[in-house]
Amino acid sequence: MTFREINSKMVEATVMPGQRLFSQRGAMLAYKGEVSFTPNIGGGQGGVMSMIGRRVANEDTPLMTVEGSGTVLFGHGGHHVQVINLTGDTLCVEADRLLAFEGTLQQGTMFMGSQGGVMGMVRGQISGQGLFTTTLKGHGAVAVMAHGGVFEIPITPQRPVHVDPQAYVAHHGDVRNKLSTALGWRDMVGRGSGEAFQLELSGHGAVYVQASEEKL
Amino acid sequence: MSTYPGAGPTVFDPMTLPSDDNVNNYTFCVELKGSQWFLQKGKMIAYYGQMDFNGIGHGRLDRLVRTSFHSPLHASDWVVAEGSGKMLLADRAFDVNSYDLENGNLTIRSGNLLAFQPTLALKQSIVPGFLTLIGTGKFVAASNGPVVFMEPPIRVDPQALVGWADCPSPCHHYDHGYMTGLMGGLRAMTGLGGASGEEHQFEFVGAGTVLLQSTELLMAEQATGAVPQQAGVPGGHGAPTGHPQQPGAPRLPGQLGDLQRRFGL
Repeated sequence: MTFREINSKMVEATVMPGQRLFSQRGAMLAYKGEVSFTPNIGGGQGGVMSMIGRRVANEDTPLMTVEGSGTVLFGHGGHHVQVINLTGDTLCVEADRLLAFEGTLQQGTMFMGSQGGVMGMVRGQISGQGLFTTTLKGHGAVAVMAHGGVFEIPITPQRPVHVDPQAYVAHHGDVRNKLSTALGWRDMVGRGSGEAFQLELSGHGAVYVQASEEKL
Repeated sequence: MSTYPGAGPTVFDPMTLPSDDNVNNYTFCVELKGSQWFLQKGKMIAYYGQMDFNGIGHGRLDRLVRTSFHSPLHASDWVVAEGSGKMLLADRAFDVNSYDLENGNLTIRSGNLLAFQPTLALKQSIVPGFLTLIGTGKFVAASNGPVVFMEPPIRVDPQALVGWADCPSPCHHYDHGYMTGLMGGLRAMTGLGGASGEEHQFEFVGAGTVLLQSTELLMAEQATGAVPQQAGVPGGHGAPTGHPQQPGAPRLPGQLGDLQRRFGL
């Protein structure tokens, strides 16, 4: 285990020679041993093109590379931290929610419109993801930040999950999401329930939800 | 996470409130039996019983202040509670915990200390912004997220440091490794790539314990009063120091922020 949760707001990462970690800049709380922190010019993996892609996509959260041997404590801004282990599948998460992740994971950017066209773009706007979102793929662990505690809801083909877009944190697996609207005449006259937009996730995987409707 | 039983929140009365212990993660209950506690202004949220809260500098408390309060310029931020009853302390929903010292010493960020028993002596640390408690007794401190105790040697982000106990020699540590070499040189020349935000830490070595809070969100700093303007006092500006950088001198690109700011002067 690379990441160990010390308490709800802090994770301990073990760094070994030859293994790299990426973390958000300034998120290191303390470290033991010989560990170096180098800012990434590109803000992550890949060449110049993927860096430009991230800039355009506004998913270029400043990252740093953590190398060496020792243990590092990560935490940021008093947010709750959730460790997600990936075994070959893809995690979709907003870049600014990434606290730290293993270098074995492949970082990429996904266009929201690629899932459901225009509706996907609308969905991105509503859930605060914007037009793009960051993907992490492969085998490894990710530490994700959220406002309030995080819980995991499994998604199975028979049981789609509906999530408040503001409470959505991340999802992984083979999941299709679509925005379901329950707009009625009540919303038009300002007597809506406040839950007019919901994110419907279906397929195989899991979604992470925070116990707060506040964005980071 | 929550420990509430199914029947809703627990209701306390003067008998069931704990004595000198946590009510929950965010509230601490102090029992006074004719005794006294020092507490920071505004941290008392409720009390049962008969209590007086007196500002320090009151004539009657002079002796108490003389024996256990050694930050004269800092006195206006503190009050003395005396009487009998139970008093609840809390601070903006931060985690609150009590610590026992036995003939020990502990240095803590001034904003994090809520209250302490007069058997402890409060002194200004020579590290600006920190207070040192010496002696035997209990004190209550707040932290953003639970406090984590670590053993030196360790390097700590300045914002995550709550305090340290015993004597693990706090000092500054600068990482400049990534500024060397070809890429580092380019980075230093152009400023491209920026800083990692982690080039400056507090380093602790030696025997002792380091207290960390699990976040970098700081609590408002409490004024600890100015240090005497005296030669040799850190932050005192007493004598002309051999400061490596004159204020206002042009900074080289890539050089880390203002040294003065980093040293907290």
